[in-house]
Amino acid sequence: MSTILRAHAEHQFAEEIEEIKKVDTYQRPPNWQLSPWAVVTYLMGGKLKSGYEVSPKYIGSRRLIEIAVATLTTDRALLLYGLPGTAKSWVSEHIAAAVSGDSTLLIQGTAGTGEEAVRYGWNYARLLAEGPTVAALVITPMMRAMRDGKIARIEELTRITSDVQDTLITVLSEKTMPIPELDTEVQATKGFNVIATANNRDKGVNELSGALKRRFNTVILPVPETMQEEIDIVKRRVESLGKVLELPAEPPALQEIKRIVTIFRELRAGVTLDGKTKIKSPTGTMSTAEAISVVNSGVALAAHFGDGQLKAEDVAAGLVGSVVKDPVQDRVVWLEYLETVVKSREGWKDIYRACRDIVV
Amino acid sequence: MSIHILGIRHHGPGSARSVKKALQQLQPDIILVEGPPDADVMLHYIGQEGMEPPVALLAYMPDDPQQAVFYPFAQFSPEWQAIAYAQQAAIPVRFMDLPLTHSMAMDKGEKDTPLVDQPADIEEILPSQAETEISHEDFSAKEELETGLIDTPVEHIHRDPLKYLAEAAGYQESELWWEHTFEQRQNTEESFAAIMESMQALREALPETKNKKEPLREAYMRKIIRSAQKEGFLNIAVICGAWHAPALTNLDTKKADEELLKKLPKTKVDFTWIPWTYSRLTFDSGYGAGIHSPGWYQHLWDFPQDTAVSWLAKVAALFRQKNMDTSVAHVIEAVRLADMLALLRNYPRPGLHELNEATQSVICFGDEVLLQLIRDELIVSNKLGQVPGNAPKVPLQHDFEKQQSKCRLQPKADDKVYVLDLRQPTDLDRSKLLHRLSLLDIKWGRQENVSGKGTFKEQWRLRWQPELLIKVIEMGVWGNTIEEATNQFIAHQSKEVQELSKVARLLERTIPAELPGAVDAVMNRINELASMAGDIVQLMQALPPLAYVSRYGNVRKTDLAMLSALVDSLIVRICVGLPNACYSLDEDASASMFAHISEVNNAINLLQQDAQLDLWHHTLLELSAKEHIHGLISGCACRILFDGKALPTEEMASRFSLALSTANEPGYSAAWLEGFLKSSGMILLLDDVLWNILYQWVATLDGEVFKNLLPLLRRTFSTFSPVERRKMGEKAKGLPAGQSTGFAYKHTPGFDASRAEQALPVVKMLLGM
Repeated sequence: MSTILRAHAEHQFAEEIEEIKKVDTYQRPPNWQLSPWAVVTYLMGGKLKSGYEVSPKYIGSRRLIEIAVATLTTDRALLLYGLPGTAKSWVSEHIAAAVSGDSTLLIQGTAGTGEEAVRYGWNYARLLAEGPTVAALVITPMMRAMRDGKIARIEELTRITSDVQDTLITVLSEKTMPIPELDTEVQATKGFNVIATANNRDKGVNELSGALKRRFNTVILPVPETMQEEIDIVKRRVESLGKVLELPAEPPALQEIKRIVTIFRELRAGVTLDGKTKIKSPTGTMSTAEAISVVNSGVALAAHFGDGQLKAEDVAAGLVGSVVKDPVQDRVVWLEYLETVVKSREGWKDIYRACRDIVV
Repeated sequence: MSIHILGIRHHGPGSARSVKKALQQLQPDIILVEGPPDADVMLHYIGQEGMEPPVALLAYMPDDPQQAVFYPFAQFSPEWQAIAYAQQAAIPVRFMDLPLTHSMAMDKGEKDTPLVDQPADIEEILPSQAETEISHEDFSAKEELETGLIDTPVEHIHRDPLKYLAEAAGYQESELWWEHTFEQRQNTEESFAAIMESMQALREALPETKNKKEPLREAYMRKIIRSAQKEGFLNIAVICGAWHAPALTNLDTKKADEELLKKLPKTKVDFTWIPWTYSRLTFDSGYGAGIHSPGWYQHLWDFPQDTAVSWLAKVAALFRQKNMDTSVAHVIEAVRLADMLALLRNYPRPGLHELNEATQSVICFGDEVLLQLIRDELIVSNKLGQVPGNAPKVPLQHDFEKQQSKCRLQPKADDKVYVLDLRQPTDLDRSKLLHRLSLLDIKWGRQENVSGKGTFKEQWRLRWQPELLIKVIEMGVWGNTIEEATNQFIAHQSKEVQELSKVARLLERTIPAELPGAVDAVMNRINELASMAGDIVQLMQALPPLAYVSRYGNVRKTDLAMLSALVDSLIVRICVGLPNACYSLDEDASASMFAHISEVNNAINLLQQDAQLDLWHHTLLELSAKEHIHGLISGCACRILFDGKALPTEEMASRFSLALSTANEPGYSAAWLEGFLKSSGMILLLDDVLWNILYQWVATLDGEVFKNLLPLLRRTFSTFSPVERRKMGEKAKGLPAGQSTGFAYKHTPGFDASRAEQALPVVKMLLGM
């Protein structure tokens, strides 16, 4: 087993991609290693004609993935948009891996991302020694993707400052990157496109300019649609994380996961699962990723301080922490929820008491 | 001699186009269309000036208009196109189905037995009760079948078998499937033969329906075809739901059919045409053979070529109209994405799903909210049809006239005033009717303030205007009786309203109209809004009217259990949210909050529920102890607590002096005192405990402090009337605290209350009370 903590998608799933290639008879766009149909199959999983089972990478709507993949074949770039914890980066990495066989052409967006990270930089030692030459250029992932006709990925596009964001406009509309210092340019080869991800609940974001927005097709990745889907995701992730962290605790009972997912879904949707009572939603996102971390920290608590079994007391602290993000407003929301929904629900006494103890 | 059977999909533009083409090729000498033959007389209205689809053929029993059936027609309905063709070509056209006079009589007969049959292909039974019954039936049918071969209820397949086939073929849109499978063919007759064949196979494969009416209907259809043959028509075109097509090929069943059709029950049925809307053609409106996207179908009918481009152009135009920048580049990119999606999914060309997805992704920046706009305006669209003025009356009119004579209220052009005593059955009926009409916005009567006391009296001023009749016809969409129409209309309205206080008012208006269904709908809406309302003031405004209704009910014995649960949850929400809502309010906001708190307090006192009262007092205690809360509100809270005896006298006294300490901002103290004493001058005179607190506090002040506080005291006391002030002065001057007269007589030593009371009757008599 390799000692690498986290392998790239194209390496981890190399076998699957090879198997899909064998049965992929559809037409491939230039420089794609799979046809659009095969890319969708790779992401959604399923059984191939050859009998090979492809594991699902994204659990959710097939139509969304179809839109995302179809977009990459058009003139426009793809923007994956959504709440934190809805698998945007995950999807972007896998699409890039399936389309170009390379998910490493990545620009991480931060408030400090500069123009040189998007376009190109200079190796100053060489620049001083030789003056502006091709050899003195520092080639960015974007430039490499253009040259090789691959998919470039930009993470957290909205965290990049607006002026830097706008340098993308030329790349996306003209498909070229001028290098005036050398009086030349890099023209994109066929197959080049960009996948960007962005958060819509983040604070301190830089909204995309209208001009840039028009260069993207937007796909919003939603929170899991059904209860079962969400439990499935939480369970899988918690179990695999537990293995990595080597927690001595027993795997969490489905019952407890179900309760947490119920609470998350109800607060997120603002209505109880039976659809009878409306409730207020807290200011936080209540994403699946947070539910995973609540269960996870509960398991850790149970393992190191409890009897190894996940109980209401173990999850209560994490639960309250993820709901009450704003000490005034969210507290009211949470209290209302506890009093009107949790208190009267059968078999929920323990969780009600455990939460009540923490809040007041 | 030939008979051409064209199996169709009701409301399918593809079917409609094929039927039109087929008729032009066949040149029949008579057309038979699926529909009730007793409505043949209504056919001549089609093609008249002023007749514009969508319209519905409405059949109802004149003596029981709740029993009604609608046959909606849109321009893209194959039946409509067939009838229109017949009229253009001047050949006879007839309906062909089991006459409604039989089938409605059967429905009525079966109402009492538990097994109600399914609505027929293009029927809708409107009364809400019948509707729910049917949906139950659908549901149970589904459950039974899940163990069987297929998971679609047989009845659903019967209603739209072509959709079923399309879905089986992997199409999400049956119109796209129709187009792909049939429209490319040159010979339309061939496609109808193919449909017939597939239906034959489907009928053989599917379990038989439990619907007893179906064999009867098909028998009658054959009967009508035979009689057309007998009359000597040579080239007969039959338009019917695809499902029935195979059953009509073999006409040598005369004997068996006649046996089947013997002794059918009969009832009187009236027909009329009414304007219909596209939204009521949709499945969501509860229409059995409903479609999801009438606006889209209309578009498919209007633009057989370049459907995607013209659709997206429409979308762009709609967005521009709503002031959203949408460029041609957007449309181009959206068309490209839609094409690509269709390719990826192996469709010949993009359908509505692909177009919507492309719109959302390219034009709306992924936002789903704007799609709702497209759905409302384009996909469903709110197109309203028209019927000629000479069409017969709608049932709501009949019911209205019936109610008028029942209540003995005649429409008069001049004003007439009625004072109703709700204890009398006739007057109660009148009041119900008038309340319902006013809810329906049919402004015949205006309620006026009644002189004299008691909740059992109402005064109405009635004046009839001819325009009101139009309103009655308009409201006919909502139901066939006044009661039903009001129920539906209010349920619809309550969904539209966003403000809690407005819904609360609606409830107040609905309760006297005695409409349990509508009341439930309104209460559900209140519940919904209450839990969503971030604004606590809204909740506080909604509480008093609800509390009033819940406490006193009314003379009409409405079931109010649900209301009191609602009031309960409102109070809980108010109590949780109130302390935060009172933070850092300015003068004006505090004054209005003061008024709200007082009203809520009155409401809660009215309800006399200990649990609620405890919770309320607890909240106020928290409120009065908080800092950064305006003095007016703190004072008010203290006062309420004091009145409710939730605060012991000593505690009260210490709070009093705390609030009026000189270290406080003078403004705060003044406001506090104002909040504490507002409009209670008389109470101050009569209640010695309250008086004592004030009195003793003043007595403890030394001269300097008193001088400083004087302006504040003056400000509060100036709100009392001069008489009150004078009396207060006398009281302060005359008696030391705790020894005054009035209600404190119990404290007077040697006073025998029981003896004093014996004298009271005489005193009363003397005073003439």
